[in-house]
Amino acid sequence: MAETGSDRITITMDGTEVEVPRGQLLIAAAEEAGTYIPRFCWHPRMKPVGMCRMCLVEIETPRGRLLTTSCTTPVSDGLVVDTASDVAVKAQEGVLEFLLINHPLDCPVCDKGGECPLQDQTLAYGPGESRFVEPKRHFEKPIKISELILLDRERCILCARCTRFSSEVSGDPLLEFAERGTVTQVLTFPDEPFASYFSGNTVEICPVGALTAKPYRFRARPWDLEAVESVSLVDAVGSKVSVQSSQNEVVRINGVDNGPTNQGWLSDKDRFSFEYINSSQRLTVPLVRHNGEFEESSWTEALDLVAGKLGSMAGSAIAGLGGARSTNEEAFAFGKFLRTVVVTPHIDAQLADGLDPQFLATATPRAAIDDLDKARTILVWSADLKEELPVLYLRVRGAATTHGARIIVVHPRRTGLDDVATHKITYRPGRGPEVLRKLIAGDGTYAEARAALDDGPVVAIVGRPGLSEGPRLAEAVAAFARDLPAGKIMPVTRRGNVYGALDMGLAPTLLPGRVAASSEQGRSRLEDVWGPVPETAGKSAKGILEGLEEGTITGLVLLGSDPVRDFPDPGLAARALAGAEFVVSLDIFLSDSSHQADVVLPVESFAEVEGTVTNLEGRVQKVNRLVPGPGQSRPAWAVLDDLSRRMGGDLGAHSAEGISKEIATVAPAYRGFGWDMVDWGEGREGVILPLDEGEQPLQYVPVDPGLRSRSSAGLSLHLARVLYDDGVQTRMSPSLASLMPAAAVYLHPRDARALGVAEGDRVEASTDLGDAELVVAYDDSIARRTAYVPANLPETAMLGAAPGLTIERLEEVVG
Amino acid sequence: MSTSILTGRMNARPTDSHTLAAYEQTGGYVALRKALIEMDSAAVAAEVKASNIRGRGGANFPTGVKWGFLPPTFPRYLVVNGDESEPGTFKDRQLLERDPHQLVEGVILAAYGLEVQQAFIYIRGEYAKPARRVERAIADAYAAGYLGRDILGSGFDLEITLHLGAGAYICGEETALLNSLEGKRGEPRIKPPFPAVEGLYAKPTIVNNVETLSNLPWIVGKGGTTYAGLGPETSAGTRIFSVSGHVNNPGNFEVVMGLTWRELIFDLCGGIAGGRDLKCWIPGGASAPWFVPELHLDIPVTIDDTAAEASMLGSGAVVVMDESTNVVGAAHRIVRFFSHESCGQCTPCREGTTWLENVLARILDGRGRPADVELLLDVSDNISPGLKWPPAQTTICPLGPSAVSPITSILTHFRDEIDAMVGALEVPVG
Amino acid sequence: MISADWSAANKKRAESLLAAYPERRSAVMPLLYVAALEHGYVSEQAQRDVAAITGLTAAQVQAVASFYTMYKREEVGEYLISVCTSISCYLLGADDVLMAISQETSTPDGEMSSDGMFSIEHVECIGACGGAPALQVNYELVEGVGPDKGRELCRWLRDARPGVVLGDEMQQLFGGRRSFDWGPAEDIGATAPVPALDAFGNAVRGHAK
Repeated sequence: MAETGSDRITITMDGTEVEVPRGQLLIAAAEEAGTYIPRFCWHPRMKPVGMCRMCLVEIETPRGRLLTTSCTTPVSDGLVVDTASDVAVKAQEGVLEFLLINHPLDCPVCDKGGECPLQDQTLAYGPGESRFVEPKRHFEKPIKISELILLDRERCILCARCTRFSSEVSGDPLLEFAERGTVTQVLTFPDEPFASYFSGNTVEICPVGALTAKPYRFRARPWDLEAVESVSLVDAVGSKVSVQSSQNEVVRINGVDNGPTNQGWLSDKDRFSFEYINSSQRLTVPLVRHNGEFEESSWTEALDLVAGKLGSMAGSAIAGLGGARSTNEEAFAFGKFLRTVVVTPHIDAQLADGLDPQFLATATPRAAIDDLDKARTILVWSADLKEELPVLYLRVRGAATTHGARIIVVHPRRTGLDDVATHKITYRPGRGPEVLRKLIAGDGTYAEARAALDDGPVVAIVGRPGLSEGPRLAEAVAAFARDLPAGKIMPVTRRGNVYGALDMGLAPTLLPGRVAASSEQGRSRLEDVWGPVPETAGKSAKGILEGLEEGTITGLVLLGSDPVRDFPDPGLAARALAGAEFVVSLDIFLSDSSHQADVVLPVESFAEVEGTVTNLEGRVQKVNRLVPGPGQSRPAWAVLDDLSRRMGGDLGAHSAEGISKEIATVAPAYRGFGWDMVDWGEGREGVILPLDEGEQPLQYVPVDPGLRSRSSAGLSLHLARVLYDDGVQTRMSPSLASLMPAAAVYLHPRDARALGVAEGDRVEASTDLGDAELVVAYDDSIARRTAYVPANLPETAMLGAAPGLTIERLEEVVG
Repeated sequence: MSTSILTGRMNARPTDSHTLAAYEQTGGYVALRKALIEMDSAAVAAEVKASNIRGRGGANFPTGVKWGFLPPTFPRYLVVNGDESEPGTFKDRQLLERDPHQLVEGVILAAYGLEVQQAFIYIRGEYAKPARRVERAIADAYAAGYLGRDILGSGFDLEITLHLGAGAYICGEETALLNSLEGKRGEPRIKPPFPAVEGLYAKPTIVNNVETLSNLPWIVGKGGTTYAGLGPETSAGTRIFSVSGHVNNPGNFEVVMGLTWRELIFDLCGGIAGGRDLKCWIPGGASAPWFVPELHLDIPVTIDDTAAEASMLGSGAVVVMDESTNVVGAAHRIVRFFSHESCGQCTPCREGTTWLENVLARILDGRGRPADVELLLDVSDNISPGLKWPPAQTTICPLGPSAVSPITSILTHFRDEIDAMVGALEVPVG
Repeated sequence: MISADWSAANKKRAESLLAAYPERRSAVMPLLYVAALEHGYVSEQAQRDVAAITGLTAAQVQAVASFYTMYKREEVGEYLISVCTSISCYLLGADDVLMAISQETSTPDGEMSSDGMFSIEHVECIGACGGAPALQVNYELVEGVGPDKGRELCRWLRDARPGVVLGDEMQQLFGGRRSFDWGPAEDIGATAPVPALDAFGNAVRGHAK
């Protein structure tokens, strides 16, 4: 009965006193104290509903013993509970018997067999026999409810985990109960499939085989699987995953509950894009161009060729792009190779499509994802998080719905967060600086939003809403936000390990470990270990491609980078690569850029490499190897080490872990870090760097760059990414490739009318940088005089991210 | 022994008791005037508390005590439960159809006593005609200044929204009703929290039955203690019993409680039709365990006496069955009702009520087995552990255990009939 | 403001209904009735309309529409005959009334007649126990209807084809014992199998024939 501190209390469970956190749900408290109470509908990351009735226990009350669901009972001082009394046990057996009377005998053909909570709990808590001799209810089974998910209503035990996840967590209530009583079922609406970016989570949390995923269906039995924990590299959230293989082929990716990052959830892209790993189009042998065509080569021949070619060029005439999709160790090796073996300062992990590297990597004060839960107000001025960083979108959504945070969204059109936003500011791309000034001043309609921003703690998620808006606006917003009450900033951009790459110095203005390239002390300390590194200022991606076009740069090394496809001025990228004297690409597929290379070297990919990655919080986690790379592919760091030696240098890289040790020596922010810190136990959550032994020499303080609004006649272009685009991870994963949306140019209906076009018309859309032939679609959420075009779809890839867009209706050709 | 608090006007003015004119001519809206002008909210609430009136919807919870659970926050809502769907019950229908202004005045008084400015009247969808009467009464009350802003110059505002159900008995459960009113499936909520704390739109809400609130004009007009003086202390006031089944005079009867079942069935309702014998009766709606003449005829008809006999007065619906009744068929019919009306949320009710219905149907069809009787009992026990009264439940709401009542009733009082059907009856030798 | 392709009158009704509740979602239930009147029954399009008006997904509207028995998601006949078969009506012979009506209309329980005139269904307690056996036609009540009177009622509906179904008229012609004194006869009734209410616009004055 004694209170042992303000947040822990004592209860009596099964005759023994235990100390538990005050207010915790009894079912969770019991589990932590070592007593597992069976359950189906309860999920630790969702509100309890007490529907399945499996977790019934008896508690003492003034009116005698009460049978109640432990998932809806918070512990209280002096609670006395019996989790396995005769009454509770009989009730639990009874519930299982009830669940099984209509459950089909599908185990032999059901994916869930072997990892099925219904099987497991029936064995442990259920009756030995069934007494049901009546006819079971039947449904047509299975039915396809989306391109990815199948539903078997006979197996369903109506725990509502899937429907609750969809409405409560992901905000896509496309799956709901229908009918009533014994024919209650989970259902979508006809012609409105369960097309949620998060649908795969419901398959994972379904306690039976009612929801199954097409990419995994019938592929393996859980007891056949091998698994490692790793981190999804689809985006920079750092979602923890379990990668699973059967006979050395990755067959499934599940979410792992990492409290600080994804809390167990994944986007469907995180979950199903593993298919690209197994693609038959993976590069397996080095390719060397002879007489304009690629020919298969040997490693020796290819590397000798590259070493000879690069060695014959001046260091400063060579540049390196990439590393944002590699591990930290690979990125570090790349940076060391370029700076000490090639001897060039021209390095960029981004492709002019993100933010300033010093801002991204070292902005202060930096928010952790958990800070969203503590925030009273969250400002989101970035790309649509639901498209670019879906799991981060879930965390912001959770902050609003569970913790009551106010959300202020600033964006040119609708976003996934609009329905939980307290304030939505829609603006025309180019007018951002003016909007920011009005928000800061709290003018007119901005007054309420401004007042909310004075109610801290405040977290500002800042980024580029679209590719045709520049990167400096995010810094201006950050400059404002960091001065708000307990204000913290979270600069966001997309690629899987861009933060790790920047931490490894893959930017012209950064050295490894969050050190400014301009820092004398930083450079001197680095040279103590590496020897001389170039002093001249390096070019960024744009400068590099311009250099290639004009001939001041003649050599290019690509590490998992595709500028022809991803650079916002596709014409420049194409000309740059065409004009280059020598291009070598380390890649996993023959991307559009690799197609133009002189030598292509096959490297290992996700699930094939061991290393660390760093997410948008600066949190480092471990990526683990599960399967061998295909054919003759090698880890990128080994390729660079081999190449270095053939060029007379020495990266000193003998293993990925060895590289990691050198990183800890050379990169101040990574000092004291070792793999064992994040390999097991609580360390699996990852560690935010720097540790106490480390330091962050560069602490970028964003200032308002004094931007002016740009206003153009005609349409402003909002070129923004969608989750399923024509990028390699989607295109090479058949289950996801079919989900790419149709390309269109979206206009406000009034603007369309004014321009003389209607929904469905074909138009030629043009920017200063390129063209695209598109269909017109209406968007009543978009700012006026603005056109939204989804970026990086096959039809839109050549459009180019320029501020203005013109459209011209194409006449029908009758013939 | 009837008093006519609720039914007086409709009996005195059969041709127009539902109209505003008739209502005003017979003392209507006088109590409202008195309350708004001479009393404050607390005083009105105090009268309700003093009346000792217990909710007339079935739970019989003291209304004044329920009102006291509201926390001192705003806004709060008042919701009238007109979802009368318990088989055997048709009293609220008569009140809605024949004296809707009595309810409307009661609602305004309650809202005033509770400091509520938005009230909802939820009427089951099948009650189209009663709902039209209430719809007209609300419109007339607005026109006459009894609803809207600054009622009778008192400064008190009240809006009433009429809401129609669409065919779901479970919406009579107060939290399911609130979910239904919010535009969701009518699924009961986990309690606590109770509606007084977290109700409609998660705001403090009081849900009261039609008959309960229809008493308020009288209670406020004549005083709560006067009401409390009618009948036994713990079953104060009058209540309307709906009697149906094999009696000569079925109908609604407003009585002061305390008469016996014998008096109710044989005097008030004229005894069994066709001169047959009484076999059994349900004292309080389909959820109540049955009574038999051998044990219960001389028990007084009060809330507490019925509870002491392991049953309930519930909504005051009495269903009388004579000797011609196949009690297994009757039990099946009631269990089938609950199986149809189960919302489907929780496992024991969704699966268990249908299992029970299937077994009884099979027995009625001549395909029962001796083991089925024990099976019925054990399945029932897994819905309502211990098969005791008041019932325990493994379910979210009492609908599951309600389905068990007819089963325990026939197994307690008519075991040999069901044993005969399943071939388990031992034929005595010699 | 109302983004469904409804008649002007129904759009106006929809606006009033939305305004009657503090939260938009609450209007789903009455809007489904108006949608049923607009489309003839609660069709898929009706549910989509209500979703558009309330800002819910169609799945959320379907969740509500499919929970309640009075939202008919398949085409329903001109006259919906709902026969109560709960305990009190059962004791007074409701099963025979249901069978008689089903035979008379050649319509199995739970289905629509092939000529679209009748839909027959058994229902749970409709609060007319004192007048058992009882039934409703388009939710207008008739009490004390035995099998023979039930057949006559069906024949009358087919022959007289009333445009407005009046409870009092049917009670006069075919009804028997009532639960209580109904008071004076009313001439307002239903024009479709949707409960007739002013708010829905389908409570219409008719004339007894």
